[in-house]
Amino acid sequence: MGRHRPYLPLCFLAAGLWLADGGGRTLAADIPDAGLIERGRYLAIAGDCVACHMAPGGKPFAGGGALQTPFGTILATNITPSKTHGIGSYTLAQFTDAVRKGIRADGKYLYPAMPYTAYALVSDDDIGALYAYFMRGVEPVDEPSPNTSLPFPFNIRLLMAAWNLLFLDDTRFHPESDKSEAWNRGAYLVRGLAHCGVCHTPRNLLMGEKASRALGGTTLNTWFAPNITSDPNSGLGSWSDQEVVDYLHLGHAGGKSQAAGPMAEAIDNSLRHLNETDLNAIAVYLKTVRPIRNDGDDKPPFAWGQASDELDAVRGAPLPSDPNQMSGAQIYDAYCATCHQERGQGSFDGGLPPLFHNTSLGRQNTDNVVMVILDGVHRTLDRPEILMPGFARELSDQQIATLGIYLIEHYGNPNARITIDQVSQLRKGGVSSPMLKLFRIGVAAGIALIAVAAAYYLFRWRRRRA
Amino acid sequence: MAVPRSADFVVIGSGIVGSLVARKLAQAGAEVLILEAGPRVTRGEIVARFRNSPRRSDWMSAYPPAPWAPHPIYKPTDNNYLLQAGPYAYAAEYIRQVGGTSWHWAAHAWRNVPNDFKIRTLYGVGVDWPIDYEDLEPFYQEAEEIMGVSGAPNTGSPRKKPFPMDPVAEPYAMRRIRERLASAYTVVTNTTARNSRSYDGRPACCGNNSCQPICPIDAQYHGGLAAQAAEAAGADLFPNANVYKLEHDERGRIAAALYYDPDKNSHRVTGNTFIVAANGIESPRLLLLSASDTFPRGLANSSDMVGRNLMDHPSTSLTFDADEDMWLGRGPQSPSSINSMRDGPFRSEHAPYRLDFTNISRIDGTTRELISQGIYGSEFEKRLRHSAARELNVKNVLEVLPDPNHRIALGDEKDAMGIPKPQTHYSIDGYTRKGHERSKEDFRRIAELLGGSNLRFSREGDFANNQHICGTLSMGHDPRASVCDQWARTHDHENLYLAGTGVLPTCGTCNSTENAVAVALRTAEHILSEYGVRGMRPSGRDGT
Repeated sequence: MGRHRPYLPLCFLAAGLWLADGGGRTLAADIPDAGLIERGRYLAIAGDCVACHMAPGGKPFAGGGALQTPFGTILATNITPSKTHGIGSYTLAQFTDAVRKGIRADGKYLYPAMPYTAYALVSDDDIGALYAYFMRGVEPVDEPSPNTSLPFPFNIRLLMAAWNLLFLDDTRFHPESDKSEAWNRGAYLVRGLAHCGVCHTPRNLLMGEKASRALGGTTLNTWFAPNITSDPNSGLGSWSDQEVVDYLHLGHAGGKSQAAGPMAEAIDNSLRHLNETDLNAIAVYLKTVRPIRNDGDDKPPFAWGQASDELDAVRGAPLPSDPNQMSGAQIYDAYCATCHQERGQGSFDGGLPPLFHNTSLGRQNTDNVVMVILDGVHRTLDRPEILMPGFARELSDQQIATLGIYLIEHYGNPNARITIDQVSQLRKGGVSSPMLKLFRIGVAAGIALIAVAAAYYLFRWRRRRA
Repeated sequence: MAVPRSADFVVIGSGIVGSLVARKLAQAGAEVLILEAGPRVTRGEIVARFRNSPRRSDWMSAYPPAPWAPHPIYKPTDNNYLLQAGPYAYAAEYIRQVGGTSWHWAAHAWRNVPNDFKIRTLYGVGVDWPIDYEDLEPFYQEAEEIMGVSGAPNTGSPRKKPFPMDPVAEPYAMRRIRERLASAYTVVTNTTARNSRSYDGRPACCGNNSCQPICPIDAQYHGGLAAQAAEAAGADLFPNANVYKLEHDERGRIAAALYYDPDKNSHRVTGNTFIVAANGIESPRLLLLSASDTFPRGLANSSDMVGRNLMDHPSTSLTFDADEDMWLGRGPQSPSSINSMRDGPFRSEHAPYRLDFTNISRIDGTTRELISQGIYGSEFEKRLRHSAARELNVKNVLEVLPDPNHRIALGDEKDAMGIPKPQTHYSIDGYTRKGHERSKEDFRRIAELLGGSNLRFSREGDFANNQHICGTLSMGHDPRASVCDQWARTHDHENLYLAGTGVLPTCGTCNSTENAVAVALRTAEHILSEYGVRGMRPSGRDGT
């Protein structure tokens, strides 16, 4: 699971039940503002609130979803309209501040695991609809959600005030008049509620998004969130709008690309439920995002590879007594060929995707190749259900590395690399992050800097008054 | 890691039954050690061997025996491990490796019908079980939830809870057979441990049609998964530990298991309770091998019933060509059957049976047949296409009654480790032969309804074997006539339990695995209640 979105598949299973159930309370036509509440429900799906604000197997919005960060686990709170344990007593203004500024009703600061830097763009109208939904469209759950306790200094929530000074731009989305309605709607969603940058934009040492690399792709420590800028080789520039829409709606775009890991969760929880107009708007906007080219991306990831096999070397050859010494072709033959077929061509109906001309194997970053072999793909909301089993239990680090190299050499980008160490790290949940230490240093420096600046301004202000 | 010298529970055999007992005990917090004679083998290796085998229809070709723990092999030549004393050869197949024989099976996971438990009382044949259907019902359910079983709603085995999933999609050929036979027979989807949806992290069946020798994607449950689950629950599993003798103390309690490693060094493991789950042939063999001055006929054998009452399911069949294209080979190998002859007053006269339709692709068999006839070129292609599309096969699965003369004994020859080989004494009796005769009426009727031509009955007197080895450790109330009690505890040794198909006192008409698993889960529950192991958790499926 990704460091940033590690909620379990159970979470979206339950979310599915909730969505199938109309999302909590039944909205009869005679309820005032039923349309407003319904719009709020849709916006809450676009914002993927339930992804965090529901524990695996828990009740919608009752909190408890865990978000792994380099600084510790952050647990989402109960945001049902419970007056005792939720946000039932919030006024619209308090709700607005929580969503857009990361400030709770009691004045305390939220951690930016809550993507308020993105939600800051949300319009007053939409905040109103969300408020109506959360107050009247969600079933109150009078149960406490677990408390987040981060290590020092991050247990000092006031620190976030300093962080907000640096990274929170508390201004609403302003449509650009020279752009189309679709573009503006797409920009509003991508940068706002859908908070795509949370995963797809690299972060600096203080965990702020690097604006210069917006949507340029970054590692989530296990899974890799790829470049989704308009660059034709590194990003989505070579995708048609329809392919982007298909991907967001179905979780796959023909045989070209398919969602796994946290992106599959985002699709199943949120994106697949958006209407076609909004998905199309997202596609229109993404196709204009300032292109970022990653060095060495000479062609799009899906332009690599072709059908091929090494069966001549496999048939009639005895298996090595040590399974770790199996060749890539032997491992492929034994574990993969049943579904992806002997030449990587997938099933005749496309239900089991071809491996060549597939973004999965064409990127220079191969973490997702390893992750999908380890964890598989499991999307229960689809009919027919999609399941690629994970092989973490069956294949050793060495076997996965051997297989991964076979796959990228035959079907993907042969310039990429996969190492046993990489598999081993990803199996353990990713490289242990030096961020906590670095961040402590960074925050200490930041606090010192702010203190100095404050003292300076105080000094000047007093002098002026004097 | 060295094998511990002692454990609370020592389970001998890591097949589906032994492993699921071990899993349940370990889940309750017990210290469990599993000793497996054969090696650890991964699914990938089995798939690779199958794909590389020049003999695809020889399902054992993907399972070469380990020299230090041989099992019977008949093709291309008989390895003469299972000695045949006759008069009818009992060519049993089983697999000695971690996970055992259910690595390759059709995944049939039937429950008995209630009357199977009392055929002596009802029909005056065979024996009654010491338990009835109601005793076993919750454990059938437990087994089905572990294994991921589905099936038709009513095949004569009432259930209190639904199957954990819907049946696997009906292949086209089976649909046509069902439709064409509807006026005379009810053709139902088989009850199988095969996923129709993803379950327990395993994908749904996608119709590879190689259930035997190996499901390449683990869509069907098998003992390898059970062994993994046992280890995940905390049991220690040691492969390549070929137990050749159980030792007892002066009170008749089992004290230790002695095993050979592959280099024939002997090791000794002590334990509080021993559970022999080494299959219907190897388990009685071990008890017989463990004879001592105190127990000269072998352990648990005061009744002289160890190894006796050997039963299986003999089959005869009809192959014919339908009058329409059916194209067997899509979906699982054994998807559908007729269950109307599993029970009835006729059981006092002749064997009951199920009628099973094969769905195994005809291509390999037809190809070999045509080549052996010297047919090549366009004629070959035409005939291959015809058979692949039209050929059907229906077989019976006949009940066999327990007969002490049918038995596993120790042979005069020794295996590579110097341990006496098992020897079978077997025949097909009149009860079973009469069932076969009766079923031929069904064969003919079925062929007629399907517009059959080119009818080929299996050779008269030949009974194919189904590898459902039962009866050799049979349970019963009477210590003079059975090996173990209703909990599968041996009558003779208070800390020796048995698990596996050998415990089943009659074989009914259904594949023995689920019955053996259910009986063994009941044994494990009993053991836990006896020992009062604390912290017991429900034994549901893994990963939840």
